Amino acid sequence: MQPFCSTLKRETAGFFHNYKSIIFNKIFAAVEHSLIVSQEDKIVFTSDKHWLHPLFELEDFIAKEKIDPITLFLRDKIAGKAAACLIVRHGIKSCHIELLSERAIPVFRQHHINFTYDHLVEHIQCRTEDLITDRMSIDEAWLFLRKRAGRVQGLAVKIDKLSVNRGDKEIVKCLDLEVGRGEQLIIHGANGSGKTTLLKTILGLVKPVNGSIQIGDTIVGSAEWKKNRSQTGYVHQENIKNSFPISAGEVVEIGLSAKKFTSQELDYRVEIAMRRTGCFHLLNHSFHELSGGEKQRVSLARCLCQNAQVLLLDEPTSFLDSEGKEELLILLKELSQNEAPTILLVSHDFQWIERLEWIKRELKGGQLC
Amino acid sequence: MLELLTYPPILKGLIVLLFAGISFPITGLYLLKLNLLPLRFMLMHGAIFGGALALAMQLNPMGTTILVNLMLVLFMTRASRTLRVDAGQMSTFFMVITISLAFILIYKFNVPAKDTLSILWGSLYTLSWYEVAGVVIFSLMILAFQLIFNRQLQAIFFDREIAFTAGVNENAIHYAIVIITALTVATAMKLIGALLLDAILLLPALITAFKVKSFHQAIIWSSLCGGIFAIAGFFLSLAFDIPASSSIAVLASVVFISFVIFAKK
Repeated sequence: MQPFCSTLKRETAGFFHNYKSIIFNKIFAAVEHSLIVSQEDKIVFTSDKHWLHPLFELEDFIAKEKIDPITLFLRDKIAGKAAACLIVRHGIKSCHIELLSERAIPVFRQHHINFTYDHLVEHIQCRTEDLITDRMSIDEAWLFLRKRAGRVQGLAVKIDKLSVNRGDKEIVKCLDLEVGRGEQLIIHGANGSGKTTLLKTILGLVKPVNGSIQIGDTIVGSAEWKKNRSQTGYVHQENIKNSFPISAGEVVEIGLSAKKFTSQELDYRVEIAMRRTGCFHLLNHSFHELSGGEKQRVSLARCLCQNAQVLLLDEPTSFLDSEGKEELLILLKELSQNEAPTILLVSHDFQWIERLEWIKRELKGGQLC
Repeated sequence: MLELLTYPPILKGLIVLLFAGISFPITGLYLLKLNLLPLRFMLMHGAIFGGALALAMQLNPMGTTILVNLMLVLFMTRASRTLRVDAGQMSTFFMVITISLAFILIYKFNVPAKDTLSILWGSLYTLSWYEVAGVVIFSLMILAFQLIFNRQLQAIFFDREIAFTAGVNENAIHYAIVIITALTVATAMKLIGALLLDAILLLPALITAFKVKSFHQAIIWSSLCGGIFAIAGFFLSLAFDIPASSSIAVLASVVFISFVIFAKK
C-alpha cells in the first residue's frame, strides 16, 4: 500500500507540477510579457518593454547566447511593418502575432516567414510604421529603426553660429550644422575652403572666434568635454611622417592611452577592434611598412578601440590606391551600419564619395551649402 | 682589473654608468621622436653658461648647470608655444644667447675658461656619493616615468593631435618629456662630457631604430644597448687606460656604423 501511495502521490505531484507549469507559462505569456520567444516549447526569452525595444533586446540575446534563430518561435502582441522587418533581420522563421498590421504581411511573405495571427488590422497606430518605406531594404530599415531606438553608438553633433579664423582670414563664417545620432555626412569643397579647419575645431584643436559646438550633451572646450574628449575619434589626412618604430597594435592601443586597463583587458580590446576592421593579422607589423589601405584600417580600429562615438575622417583616401579605396568604402559602410557612430567625412574625391551614398554638403565661402 | 673597483671613485663611476646607461637612452628616444636635437645643443651651451655662472658665483657646478638648463627648457618651451615659433628656432636663439652670456661672465669675473669648458669632457670619477645617489634616483625616475606613462608617450610620439583626441594630456606630458630630457642632458654632460653625451644618449636609440618594429621593443633594446655600452666601455677604459667617455663613445660608434652597413646590405 505504501509504495502505491507514494507512487500515486509522486505522479499526481508531477502532473500538477507540469499542469501548473503550462498554466504558469500561459499566464506568463498572456499577462506579463509583450514578447515571448521559445525554443522547443521552452521559453528562452521574454520582454515586457514597449514599442520595438523587445525585438532589439532579442537581437542582443541571440547574439550573446549564440542561438540559431531558425530554432526560435516568437510570440508578439502587436507587429507592424517595422517589427516584421526586425523579425526578418533577426533570422526568425516562425511567429505568432496577436494583433498584426496588413503592412507586415508582404514583408513576412517575401522572406518566407511562417506566421499566424489572432486579429488583422489595416494598420497600427504607430508613426514608425509610416516611416518604413517600400524602397527600404531590410538592412536599411533595421539601421533606420536602430537609430530611432537610440541603439547607435553615435552622438549628435550640433554646431551653432561657428566662426573660425586662420590667421587674419575668416575661414568659417557663422556656420550652423546638425548631424543626428549615428548619421553620416560628407563635407566636400575646394582646397583651402576650411574643411580641415572645421574638423579641427570640432576636435577642439582650433579655437573658434565665435559660436559653439556641442557633441552629445557636452560643449567642446568645457570641463566636461575635457574629461570625455576621447568620444571623438580622428583620422587625419597627413601620412604620419616620422618613421620611428611603432607596431600596428600599438597604434590601435593609442585609442586607450587615457584610460586605465589591465594589460589583459587592453590586449582584448585591441584584438576586438582590429578584428572588427579586419587588420588583426597586422598586430605586430611595423605601422610604417603597411600599405595605405592597411594604415586606414588600423586608424579606424584605433577609433573603435577608443570607443569614439563621433568619427571625423579628413581626406581618408589621400594616400590610397584603388584597392585601398575599395576596402575603405566597404569598411565605412559596415561601420555605419553596425556600430553606427556619427561620421563626418571630409573629402574632395568626388568619384569615391558618390559611392558612399551618404548626405553631402559643400563648404563654400565659409558656409555649408 | 676588478681590484680597481675597491677604489671609491672607480666604484662610483661604475654604479653611475650602469644606471645612466640603462635609463638615459630612453630620453635619447624622446629626443629623436620629438625632433628635439636643437634642444640638445641649446642645453650644451646652457651647461657652459651654468658652469661659468657657478664658478663666477662660487656655486655647486652640477646643481647650477642643471638648474640653468631646466630654466632654459621651460623658457624655450613656453616661448615657443606662446609666440608660435618652431621649438628648433627658439632653441637656436637660446643657444646663442646663453653662450654669449657665458663669455660675458668668463670675461667680467675672470673665470678660468679651462675650468668652464671642462664640462665638455665630463668628470666621471670626481662624483660625490650624494651625486651618485642623485644620478641613481634620477635614473629610476626616468624608468618609472616611462613605465607609468608608456601608452601616453607612445601616443604623443606617434602624433600629438591623435594623442590629444585620444584624451591624453599631451601638453603636460610634453613638458615632462622636455624637462626630463633637459635634466638627462645636464647630468650626462657631468658624467661623460658634452661632446660625448650622444654616445650614451642618442646612439643606442639610433641603433635600436634600425631593427625593431615597435615602440615597446625600442625602449627595451635602447636601454639594453645603453647599459652594455656603458659597462663594456667602462671596463675597456680600465683595460686600456683611456677615458671612460671615449671608450663608450668609440664602442657605441663602432656598433652604430656596423648596424648602418649591415642594414644597407
